[in-house]
Amino acid sequence: MLRCVFSFCLMFACMAPAQAQNASAEEQVRRMAAEVTAQVRKNPELLNSPSQLAALVQQRLMPHFDFGRITQIAMGRNWPKTSGGEQGQVTSEFSKLLVRTYSNALANLRDLDVQVRDSRSNSASDVTVRTQMIGRAKPVAIDYTLTNASGGWRVYDVSVEGVSLVTAYRDEFNGVVSSSGVSGLIAVLKQKNAK
Amino acid sequence: MTCFDRSALVATVLFAGLGLSSAAMAQGPELNDPIEPVNRAFFGLNDVLDTVAFKPIATVWNTVLPKPVRTGVGNAFGNLDDVFIGANHLLQGRGKDAMTDFSRVLVNTTVGIGGLIDVASTQNLEKGEGDFGQTLGVWGAGPGFYLVLPLLGPSTARDTVGRAARVASDPRTYMTPAWSWGLVGLEFVQIKADNVDNANLIDASSLDKYAFTRNLYLQRRAAIVQSGREAAGAR
Repeated sequence: MLRCVFSFCLMFACMAPAQAQNASAEEQVRRMAAEVTAQVRKNPELLNSPSQLAALVQQRLMPHFDFGRITQIAMGRNWPKTSGGEQGQVTSEFSKLLVRTYSNALANLRDLDVQVRDSRSNSASDVTVRTQMIGRAKPVAIDYTLTNASGGWRVYDVSVEGVSLVTAYRDEFNGVVSSSGVSGLIAVLKQKNAK
Repeated sequence: MTCFDRSALVATVLFAGLGLSSAAMAQGPELNDPIEPVNRAFFGLNDVLDTVAFKPIATVWNTVLPKPVRTGVGNAFGNLDDVFIGANHLLQGRGKDAMTDFSRVLVNTTVGIGGLIDVASTQNLEKGEGDFGQTLGVWGAGPGFYLVLPLLGPSTARDTVGRAARVASDPRTYMTPAWSWGLVGLEFVQIKADNVDNANLIDASSLDKYAFTRNLYLQRRAAIVQSGREAAGAR
């Protein structure tokens, strides 16, 4: 009986902070969505200017993304084998590519109404927030996975309708690294960004 | 095709990570592409056809036809598709979902003038997701090896069987060749036209378009089968 009560208390002790952290992660996602939506509503012309949109994404969204972690996942098993300098270069080039991808996607999608549905905690400092983008015939499910490192929640995973892009990039990165090495990968990323 | 095109849409929006633990991340999903050289050849062919033929046709389609017409064509094919979605939901044991699908067909075919207007979506009858490849997956079949079909694009062994079943049960298969090819061609163009933006986005975002597309397709199909399993379990 006592053991039962104890484990019950323990369960609550674990759950309470989990709920609090889910709420704060959800709040972070809501804030990010609201910020971009507000900017675009204020100035709809943004959607027609790739460079301005990229600047907006860079300024408002990117500070909330953990590019180090994103790049590390995309690099997979090649990450530990890569020198610190090259890791930095891959991270900076890949983040440029992602900023462009994201702003292009925003321009295509246009309707930006994001609703937070719920969230699930994966570990002590890791939460997946499920949202849906409404305004189309069928809502699009977008999940953000965030980690609470120093200085608040930062996103390291976005998956749309069950598809995560960094996973897709990981196959590509793997292919390029095994055929032409990390320097080859950096070159390809630079080339892509220059276009 | 519809499924993958949805996955292309999906691809457009995002950009990051993987919601798994780091242990799972290190291994990643098994990559099953034993005939990659052949697949790459067909992928290249499809890509050339897209560039020289389908993208220009799709662009003309989008420029010349007013939006209501384009939407109407998409809805009409969607209405036909709802019949198959409903049948597959039944096969998966999802009676309630199948009811929604068939109600959609009923409402859209009558009130929606032969399926041209998707009235059902405004009446809380949300469009479902279902095909025979998904059904096979829900029944326990794995995806098998990755396959790029000429013209049709990404698939797997399982999904190719699913597609063959769909072709065999599609009324268009049994029409005169002119009608049959005409209607199939129309749907093909409509889908291409719907996805010009997404195709451009994949071009701009990928380093190795083949590997990128393959991964998007496999992830998307796995998610569709998973959601089918969950819905079948929760019935």
